[in-house]
Amino acid sequence: MSETICAVATPPGRGGIGIVRVSGPACQQVARVLLRQVPPPRIATLADFCTTEGEILDSGIALYFPAPASYTGEDVLELQGHGSPVALDRVVGCILEQDVRMANPGEFTERAFRNDKLDLAQAEAVADLIASGSAEAARAAARSLSGEFSRCVHELDHKILTLRIYIESAIDFAEEEVDFLGDREQQDQLVAMQLLVERLIERSSAGLTMQLGLDVAIAGDPNVGKSSLLNQLLGEDRAIVTATAGTTRDTLHGELSLDGLPVRLTDTAGLRESNDPIEVIGMKRAEEALEKADCVLWVVDDADENGSPPKEYQAKSLVVRNKCDLTGKTPGGLGDDAFRTCALTGAGLDELCEQLKQIAGFRTGIDAFAGRPRHIDSLKRARGALASAVDELSTRQGELVAENLRVAHQCLGEIVGATTSDDLLGEIFATFCIGK
Amino acid sequence: MKYPTAFDVIVIGGGHAGVEAALASARVGASTLLLTQAIETIGQMSCNPAIGGIGKSNLVREIDALGGAMAIAADQAGIHFRTLNNSKGPAVRATRAQADRVLYRNAIRGAIDCQPHLTVYQDLMVDLTLKSDRIVSVSTRLGMEIEGGAVVLTTGTFLGGRIFVGSEQHTGGRAGDSASLELSEKLRTLPLAAGRLKTGTPPRIDGNTVDFDKLEEQPGDEPRPVMSFLGSAESHPRQVSCHITHTNPQTHEVIRRGLDRSPMFTGEIEGVGPRYCPSIEDKIVRFAERDQHQIFVEPEGLQTTELYPNGISTSLPFDIQYEAVRTIRGFENAHITRPGYAIEYDFFDPRGLLPSLETKNIENLFFAGQINGTTGYEEAAAQGLVAGLNAARKVAGQSAWVPQRHEAYIGVLIDDLTTMGANEPYRMFTSRAEYRLRLRQDNADLRLTPVGRELGLVTDERFNAFAMRRDRLERCNTVLTNTTVHLNSDLANKLSEETGEAISRDVLLLDFAKRPNVRAEHLTASGVFSDRDEAHLVQALIDVKYHGYLRRQDQAIERSREQMGIQLPVDMDFDGIDGLSNELREKLENVRPSTLGKAASIPGMTPAALSLLSVHAKRHSGLRKTA
Repeated sequence: MSETICAVATPPGRGGIGIVRVSGPACQQVARVLLRQVPPPRIATLADFCTTEGEILDSGIALYFPAPASYTGEDVLELQGHGSPVALDRVVGCILEQDVRMANPGEFTERAFRNDKLDLAQAEAVADLIASGSAEAARAAARSLSGEFSRCVHELDHKILTLRIYIESAIDFAEEEVDFLGDREQQDQLVAMQLLVERLIERSSAGLTMQLGLDVAIAGDPNVGKSSLLNQLLGEDRAIVTATAGTTRDTLHGELSLDGLPVRLTDTAGLRESNDPIEVIGMKRAEEALEKADCVLWVVDDADENGSPPKEYQAKSLVVRNKCDLTGKTPGGLGDDAFRTCALTGAGLDELCEQLKQIAGFRTGIDAFAGRPRHIDSLKRARGALASAVDELSTRQGELVAENLRVAHQCLGEIVGATTSDDLLGEIFATFCIGK
Repeated sequence: MKYPTAFDVIVIGGGHAGVEAALASARVGASTLLLTQAIETIGQMSCNPAIGGIGKSNLVREIDALGGAMAIAADQAGIHFRTLNNSKGPAVRATRAQADRVLYRNAIRGAIDCQPHLTVYQDLMVDLTLKSDRIVSVSTRLGMEIEGGAVVLTTGTFLGGRIFVGSEQHTGGRAGDSASLELSEKLRTLPLAAGRLKTGTPPRIDGNTVDFDKLEEQPGDEPRPVMSFLGSAESHPRQVSCHITHTNPQTHEVIRRGLDRSPMFTGEIEGVGPRYCPSIEDKIVRFAERDQHQIFVEPEGLQTTELYPNGISTSLPFDIQYEAVRTIRGFENAHITRPGYAIEYDFFDPRGLLPSLETKNIENLFFAGQINGTTGYEEAAAQGLVAGLNAARKVAGQSAWVPQRHEAYIGVLIDDLTTMGANEPYRMFTSRAEYRLRLRQDNADLRLTPVGRELGLVTDERFNAFAMRRDRLERCNTVLTNTTVHLNSDLANKLSEETGEAISRDVLLLDFAKRPNVRAEHLTASGVFSDRDEAHLVQALIDVKYHGYLRRQDQAIERSREQMGIQLPVDMDFDGIDGLSNELREKLENVRPSTLGKAASIPGMTPAALSLLSVHAKRHSGLRKTA
């Protein structure tokens, strides 16, 4: 297999652990970029998962299985991180930048089967698995393809088809008396398509986070007002979905909705050295919650001059300087990553919530779709092809404009169903009087 | 009575498919018989007198690269050459030649007569004999039974042919020639899915009665392009012009009056005609808002004044044809030498064929040309070559050779036919080729001559000419890759001056050449290459400019190659595969794709369904092995 594929191997939604699996020849390259190393074969290796720019997305266990001793028989890389869907999505996004595509339903197993990793008796099970996977994928696709998202993708697909009718006619029927489009009109149409695809990507990406929501952990020294913050955030004018109380020494959960964005709050036990076995367990849970969280609200007493979060959580932390009623300082934002609040009165919390929405990629005015990562991947490739089409048009290379439009059309076809060259010709013959 | 000799391959029909089939079979060494009902009409151009055109000239060049006759004959007979899409990129450029019908036929006849291992015999095939689903002999009208290892059937419009002019109709294979009726009936008893298609021709006009001053003249191109890799403009006969005129509202009025007597509209013609080559009455009905349609007036030859007014093919009654023609500018006094007519003929669903063009149900029986639902000389010739070659290989116990979609338009043609079938006469267009940027007419020899040589299709003469060209090209590429243009060097200054492109740092000549404004003549003018290299440099630069796109396509090609490598069992039980939609199941049942790659090209196929097929295919082969 020449292509490298990638997918989240754990079930969708939240789990204690999230596994991203990569199979194919680009595994080493993926490892070098994301892990800054190729882990030794078959040895669980602790590593940070980074973007190309070096931003740490998550950390966890990396496992590298060189071909042929792997599940699929190809090079396989497994990244086991913390189950946060947002982090998983970003890890997958980085992997897809490395000449890797999303795997089709059942494709890992299929490859395993083709490379003689499964015996004949397992074949039937494999086929059933793919069959159910494809049925599930079809149901899922139907869900996300209903309504507005579908309408927008179809609209873009149709715009590309319309332009292709003209561009392909100008190539195949150059001698016919057909009114071909001028460069200017082509340019205008391409720019309109670029805007459409851009907006689709924006809305779909927003939709993905909207759907998955945000995990927020509240942490800090004891007695700084963490529980008050939780109560206030879950309070009166915010919808409480669930609220489960543990012991005071355990973690406390609550869920709220910020303008439709699901936010799962976890109030952790205060972090400090202790010999109390129950408190130790609580502490352990607190650490797990912190690792898993998309965002940590690190609460400190406003009177305390210092109070910065532990280094390992710094990147995803917002500092909440609480109890400002006692210091008399004005509540509100102190830059993007620090806020002064009074958890008892709720002062300063609006600004904090706004920031949480920002982190989730939530932008007001965007009518978000429930985009699926596979759709976003296709849309991004379509966007690239449209940009190339604009470039080629500027140097008047019509056949290359046509090639890029074909690729863009194919990318959308992955979402709404492919348009074959025969379909295209049919449209051409219906539009123009062609032929001698 | 038994014919005194038996043959490896018998080719039925001497049209463009039959000719290339017979030549290819004989070239690879099979003893070959070309059986035709009229030796005089071997290589006849039944429709318009032109070879090539957009998409089609790529096929002609591929046939040429594989040692076929069509391109050389077009060069010997071409009386008007044009390069089409010249203002667009090299991938979509095409060559078209108007050919003198007589010169073309003579050129083809010459090629047939000079071909070793090839015998021509004139008689009409009326029957065939099968032995347990394998063809073993054909029988002729004169009662001759001829034994053959394989048979290639190229029946054109002759099989069950029926000609229509207004309400008049009669059987016929072409104006003036009789149809193959007995064979049609015989074939309909075999397990093959028969259908009817339709095509048409315009009335022919005597040039002596045309006022050329009223027509727009279209001369051929200078410098004049050539068709064959071995051709040269010097070998072309005298060149003449084509002309252009138009229909007008008055013409349309006359035609509308005749519609009630058009067999197209009265329902007498059941066959489907091509949408891209509609009759004039069809154009006027479907595009009623247009008040004129273009007519391309093509000369029939150097020794005749007859003209072919391309654009007004019709099956209207003669009185309407006569009146309508005389409303056209320049044709006011035109004399019709032969009326236009529609012809309906048998074809067989090409999904019943293996990619080698052998029928799935009758072993050693091959089909090529219009019998497979195609239209066009070039499409026919391309299939003929593949069918003839594979018939010979089958008899010799060798595996079939079929080019893939990324290797040749011939591959696109065969793949489209055998997977999609033909709902209307199939014609090649460049938009059918997803790998259009690499399937160019300029590189057809680079793509196919080496494999043609291995197959035994390419002569020493052609291969030596090719090898020389390839060496020169490689030299150009070496210079491009190994030359650095240093900042402020003499070379840099010259190149900047020639191209107007700034050179702001050291740059590889190859990378400099990628810039859109850089052309071959700039590089020769700068002294990097000699003028002698220019033709090869032009070609080298095409690959340089398309490099990024070609490289990106390589991955898609690799995927399809892998899929092509996965064979699907002929008796695969699609009903037994869970997870396939009913629609897909039905399509698969119809197409019965031979490989996973072919299944992938079925419209509506999904990645998940392909995975299922691949798993079931492998399971199937595994079960066989253990059984």
